[in-house]
Formats: sequence, C-alpha cells, structure tokens
Amino acid sequence: MQKTRKGLTPGLIAIVGFLTVCPVVMLILGSFSEGLNAFGTFTLSKYVKAYTDPAFAEILVNTAVFTIGSAIVSTVLALFLAYLNTRTNIPFKFMFRIISLIPMMVPHILFAVSWVLLLNPSNGMINLFLRQVFGWEGAALNIYTLQGMILVEGLLDLPIAYLVIAPAMSAFDVSLEESSKVCGASNLRTLVRITLPVLRPAILAAATLVIVRSLASFAVPSVIGMPGRIYVLATHIYRVVATGYVTDYGMAAAVGMSALAASITLIFLYRHLTREGEKYVTVSSRGYRPSVIDLKGARYPLFGIVALLSFVLIVLPVLVLFYTSVVPYSMVPSAKAFAMMSWKHWIAVLKDPVSLLSLKNSLYLGVGGATLGMILSFFVAYVIVKVRTKAAGFLESLSFLSFSFPGIVVGIGFMWFFVQTPLYATIWALLIGYIATYLPYGIRPLTSAFVQIHSNLEESSRVCGGGPFYTMRRIVIPLLIPGIVSGWILMATMFVRELSLSVVLSRPGTEVLAVQILRFAEDGLWGRLSALGILMIFISTTLVIIASRIGAKLTKVDK
Amino acid sequence: MKKLIIFVVLVLFAAPCVFAAGTDAKGSAGQALAEKAKAEGKVTFYANITSVEPILEDFGKRYGVKAEYTRLSTTKFIATIMTEHAAGKLTADVLQAPMPVLEFLMEKGVLASYTSPAAAGYPKWANKDGKIQSFGIEYAALIYNKELVKPADVPKKYEDLADPKWKGKIVMADPSSHPTTISWLIGLKENVIKSEAEWMKFLKGLAANKPMFVASFGPTPAPIESGEKLIGISMPKYIITKAPAPLDWAKVSQPMMGTPRGMAITAGAPHPNAARLFVDYWLSEDAMKIMAEKVGEYVLAPGIYPPIAGIDKAKVIPIRELSDDEIKKWGGEFKKIFAAP
Repeated sequence: MQKTRKGLTPGLIAIVGFLTVCPVVMLILGSFSEGLNAFGTFTLSKYVKAYTDPAFAEILVNTAVFTIGSAIVSTVLALFLAYLNTRTNIPFKFMFRIISLIPMMVPHILFAVSWVLLLNPSNGMINLFLRQVFGWEGAALNIYTLQGMILVEGLLDLPIAYLVIAPAMSAFDVSLEESSKVCGASNLRTLVRITLPVLRPAILAAATLVIVRSLASFAVPSVIGMPGRIYVLATHIYRVVATGYVTDYGMAAAVGMSALAASITLIFLYRHLTREGEKYVTVSSRGYRPSVIDLKGARYPLFGIVALLSFVLIVLPVLVLFYTSVVPYSMVPSAKAFAMMSWKHWIAVLKDPVSLLSLKNSLYLGVGGATLGMILSFFVAYVIVKVRTKAAGFLESLSFLSFSFPGIVVGIGFMWFFVQTPLYATIWALLIGYIATYLPYGIRPLTSAFVQIHSNLEESSRVCGGGPFYTMRRIVIPLLIPGIVSGWILMATMFVRELSLSVVLSRPGTEVLAVQILRFAEDGLWGRLSALGILMIFISTTLVIIASRIGAKLTKVDK
Repeated sequence: MKKLIIFVVLVLFAAPCVFAAGTDAKGSAGQALAEKAKAEGKVTFYANITSVEPILEDFGKRYGVKAEYTRLSTTKFIATIMTEHAAGKLTADVLQAPMPVLEFLMEKGVLASYTSPAAAGYPKWANKDGKIQSFGIEYAALIYNKELVKPADVPKKYEDLADPKWKGKIVMADPSSHPTTISWLIGLKENVIKSEAEWMKFLKGLAANKPMFVASFGPTPAPIESGEKLIGISMPKYIITKAPAPLDWAKVSQPMMGTPRGMAITAGAPHPNAARLFVDYWLSEDAMKIMAEKVGEYVLAPGIYPPIAGIDKAKVIPIRELSDDEIKKWGGEFKKIFAAP
C-alpha cells in the first residue's frame, strides 16, 4: 500500500489543485489588477480601499458573531439529534434523517423568506398570534436581528453538521462506553467524559464546515440582515459590487481574501486540534457495534422536543411554501386568502419550458456531479487521514479553497477561468465548478468516518494476502458506507439547489433550478418561486431516499 | 409550400407594422434583411428584463429566427460581457441594459452603430451616438397597499413620505448601494424639489421614518402586498405583474422619474442581420405593446402606455445618467444620512 499511497498524494494534489486553484488564482490576479478583468496592470489600490473602510471593523465583529453563533446552533442540534437517533431507543427514528436533511433541500432564500413571514415585527404570523392570544404589545419577536440571523442560518446548516457527526456517532467502539459504565459512571457522565471527547474530530469538522459555509452564505444576510441593517462580510461585498453599474469584482475579491484567510486558519486549527489521529480510532479489529441506550421515562419528552424541532424545521417552512404557491400574491392568511387560492402558479411553472429544462439539468448535475465528486473525495479523504504528511495537509487546505470564498465572488473566479477554456458556457463547466467548490461536502463526512477506522483492519487483510484494491473494496469501503452516503447526499442536494456558480455560468440550454428560482425572486414572483421550490424539494427527497436505501442495503452485512 | 406560408405570414404581419410605425422595415429592404436574418438562423440576446418571452416567441414565429435570451443580473452584466469580450468569446448579438451600462460598453468599443428605422417616432434624447437606442424608462414611484392606506392618506407629493405618520411603514431598496434608488433620490434634487435644503430636509425626514432596506427593487412589493409595510419606493409595473395584489401608485403632482433602458448591437455580432431585424422588431409598435401591456413597462413608442390608471397622463422623465463615481459618492452620503438615529 505504501507505494500506491506515495503516488496518490501528488496525483490528487494535481487534480484538486487544478480544480480549486485556477479560479482562486484568477481572483487573486483580479484583486491586484487595474480595471475589471483578471489581467491588468498591478495595483494595490483595491486592497487599500477595501481594508481602510471605517465600517469594516463592525462588519468583522458581526461576521464573527454570526458565523460562530450559527456553528454552535447547528453543531449542538446535530449532536443532539445524531445521539438520539443512533444511540437510543427513541421512537420514530425515520424522522431524524428527514429533519436533518430538509433544510439542505429548501432553497435558502425561500427558507429565509418563510421565517420573515413568521417572525417579522410588523405582521409576522407568530407575532400576530402572540399579540392576539397573550395581548403582547408591539413586536414580541423580531427576526431582523443578529439572533434571528443566527437562528435561521444555524437551522439551514444543520444538515451539514448532522451528516458529518451522524456517521461518526454510528461507527463508535462501544467498549469505551462500557468500560466507563463498568467503572460506575452514569449515562450522562459517560456521554460527557467519553462519547463527546472521542467525537472531537467530527464535532470540530462539523463546526468548521458550518463556519466556512455561513461565511459564504448570502441568503440569510441579505433577506434578514439587510432589513435589520446588520451587515456581514457577504452583504458588505454585495454593497461593494452593487453600488454603481461598473461592478469591480477585483475589489470584491480583495474583500473576499479575508474570508479565505479565515478559512485556511480554521483548517490549520482543526488539523492541530485533531493531530493525534490514533486517539480517535474507535473501529478497530476488536468488537464494534454501537449499543442502544434505554431512555426509559425520558423517551417521550425527548421525542416531544424532536417533534417540535421537526415542526419548526419542516412543517412550518414547507407549509408556508405551499401556501405561498397557491395564493395569488404575498398575503397574511385570512378568509380572503383562502377564497383566492388557485393552481395558477403551478400551471405557469409546469408550462414554462425553461423551468422544465432546469429541472432536468439540475437532476443530471445532482446525480452525476455527486457521484464523480464522491469518487474524488474518497481518495482525497484517504490521503488526508491515512497518509497525514505535510503534503496531505496541503491537500486538505486546497480542497477548501473555492469553498471558502463568498459565493458572489467565486462564481466570477470560475467565469474568468472557464472563459479561457473551451468548456465555457457548457454544462461541463457547471459540473466541474460544482465539484471543485463543494469538495469539502464529500471529504468532511468521509474523513470523520475514516479517522475512526484502525489501520489494523487493513493490515490484517494485507497479511492474509489481500491486495490494496481488494482491501479497499472488502474492508475499507463497507465500513465507510455511512460516510459515503452522507457525502453523496450533501453533494447531490447541494448541486440541485446550487446558485452562486450557476448564476454566472448557466446559459440558454444549461439553465438550472436555482437560477430559475432567482429570476422569479428578482421579479418578485413568489408564487412561482414557491411552486418550483417544492418541485426542487421533491427531487432532492427522492435522491435522498434512494441513496439511503442503497446505503442501508450495503451496511446490512455487519449487523 | 412551407416557404409560401411563411412568406404569407410575413407579409400579413409586416404590413400593419409598416403602416403603423410608418418607418418599419421598408418594403423590399426590410424583406431582404428578414431573409438574411433567416439564413443566420438565430439571434442571441443578453439582457435583464422580466417576462419578455412573448416578444421573443412572436419574433420567432414571424421571421423564423430563434431569439435566445441570456439573462444577466445588473451586478454581473458588465463583468460578464467584458470577460467574454476580452477572451474573444462574446456571443451576444443584441444587448439590453440600463443606459449607464451601455454607455460604459460603448466607451470600451463593444457596441456597433445602428439606427433602427423603427425608432423614428421616438424622442430625440433616446438615441445616443447612433449606437444606443432607449426604448423605455424603468420608472419608479411611491407604491402603496390600497386596502390598508386610506385614500386621504395617500401622498400627494414625494415629500409627504417624510411625514412621521409613515414611521416604520416604508420599504425601499438600500440607498447606500442600489444604483437606481440612488439615482432616483438625486433625480428628486435635480428635477423635483426646489432647493437643496428642502431636499435634505426630505431625506432626513425619510431617514427618521426608519424605512426597511432590501437589496433591490425586486423584493420591494412583497412586504407592501402582505401588509408588513404600507408604502415603498418601488416600480408601478408591479401593479401589472403582481395583479391581483392590492398595489397602487401615489399619483403625485410631480413628474415620475426613472433610468432609461437602452439596447444596442455588439460590434462583433455573430448574427448581424438577425440582430438588426431583432432591434427593428423590438422597437416596433407591436412589440412595445406587448411590453407595456404584459409587463407594465413604460415605453417610448408614441401613444403606447401600460394599462395602469393615470399613467398616460403622468409625466415620466429620464434621470440624468450618473457616473459610477457619483453613485458611489452619493451612496456613501446616503449611508451616513440614513444611519443617523
């Protein structure tokens, strides 16, 4: 295996480097160039202008609170849900997967708008309810605050955290917990002293991903932050870009460099905190089967919390979405609204050839892109975890490059790059761009699963005469199935609703769902937007069900 | 047979155009252009304009030339075109954008010269250097919820928006970054409000009413429809596109203002004849009628108005085109004015 490993690292660095470095290099060139394109006379003026803005300090503080807050919300929720799902006898387990995935499938802009309809201080439905029932004066709850932004972004990023943590939680060597209990520790103490510390790589991986993602997120900061006049990095960049007609993306890239720097720092911090990889190995050649904890009396109260969460996360936004798709315009529910309901938005969408084409393209990109992406992620994750050389660390940082740029900027980077190639304005540009940007979605769940598999297992297979690929196929891959399924789902659902790259790279014939949805949003056609959004959720749900079924079939072997 | 049918259709459709606009596709010259365009097969159109599909379809049906529409949002328009232009891959034949965008592209040598015979009846100012032809004005107005605002409360002049009774009830695009809103506020100073001091008083009053900011015009109507806010600086065309939403425009005594929408042919157009035919058709009375009636646009073709009560009597004027430096400077000023408590 040693020899294969050595060849693998440079090869992967070349591939991943090509995918992620090219657009970023274009952005770096653009940020140092006079004029509007990637190639121009050298200048530092864009950086000087970007970083001497007096408002910048406040924006950085807001951004830090927003991203870290969102990471805490989604990681804590994900831990809670993953623990209950994989380790306890809580009823209705199938709900967990749905809860934790729905936000991944809803177009973020729609999810944010639903929350505005529920919680805006003037006539948000929940506020109206509180006012009528409890007679509360004024606005009880205001979504247009930093807390509101954190709540919604945290919920939206929950799937990322859940899909990283859940596989690690299920691949857990139970003997560790048994030892703790034998020594007299309670369930709670075991959880705090054994389970959580062992899961550290997965928890940190989840938090890192959410921080990086919320750094790049635009939907929540624009729909919720802007009306509350709370600006974060992404909306600041938007203001830089949107003020005036001659948009200077070089300047936007200069601002975006601070997001890139933050992400790279985070990744190094993560590697440092999990550097003693051996500590976290839990699936060794000894027994491995997670035990189930009996919740006893806490079963139903805990389930109640989950049910409430799922109501808030799935039922409410999807209901709001459906409601919006059948009323003629944005209106607060009333007798009049119900009287005016019709299918006209649905008919308009289903008759629109561009919407139908975009459904087809997005489905193709979701399935094809996620599959190719996972093959690449598998090798990259293998090298990151099992090789752990300096080069492997480099590879890990590379995989995050385009991912950590705010969406509005990275799309332009890809455009500057692809226009130099014959792929420009083809669907292949979208496919490659998607994989390059969202590689961490494939790599993260896999690395956190890989970390837990002891090399004993591979070595045993090798000793018994199994070749490296035989070992891979019979030993490593089957143990990784939960991680692979998670990664595939993250990628596929992401690609189905991808916007930042698509909005720049899609052309007539290669329209995709999110771009079509954005057009409806720009024209204020919320009804059609919701109808298409529901179709999008439907496609993603089908993909998730198929992937989970296949995954369940493949892991049955070791039960 | 097929050719004959197309010919007959062409003649049938072209004839009224010729009479109506008087200058459209003049007889044989127009026919020759249509034939050359048909040989080219298609025309590529880059724009950011809503619901123009019926126009594109009608064009395709009339002339057998497929119109392919690439929609680019305003923030990405110049970036995309300049990138493609620099790489020699600009596939667009015809561009449509706000005037300042096209002027920038004209300076960079992206545009070709073409004066369409169909624009003969348009106002003089609408043609720039024989390259850019304006066909409409992206007009803004005070849009309010007609179910929730009593007729007596509807503003009679723009300054009424500074009345404290609107506190917490206004929505508008972010005046520190949205170019059209910035230009509109400057337009008030230059065309409507008498003195700069009064204008500043209006701005401060508006700021004191704590309007809710959104990213652009697109998200302005939804909060007004739903009653989250009651009034906003928005576009009258939403009265058409969002019907039956309870929207109406405040018929103020002052003129309405907006940024001109222009169109032009690119210098290296891959389908130059189809491009000319497309521009001619776009500016014709038939196409402009579709635009006014279905999309609620304010068009410059004489005598055509969107079916919104009172628009045909209103005075709509183009705002002076602000340079980007000016927009950025004023954006910064508005940021300060609107941040004050």
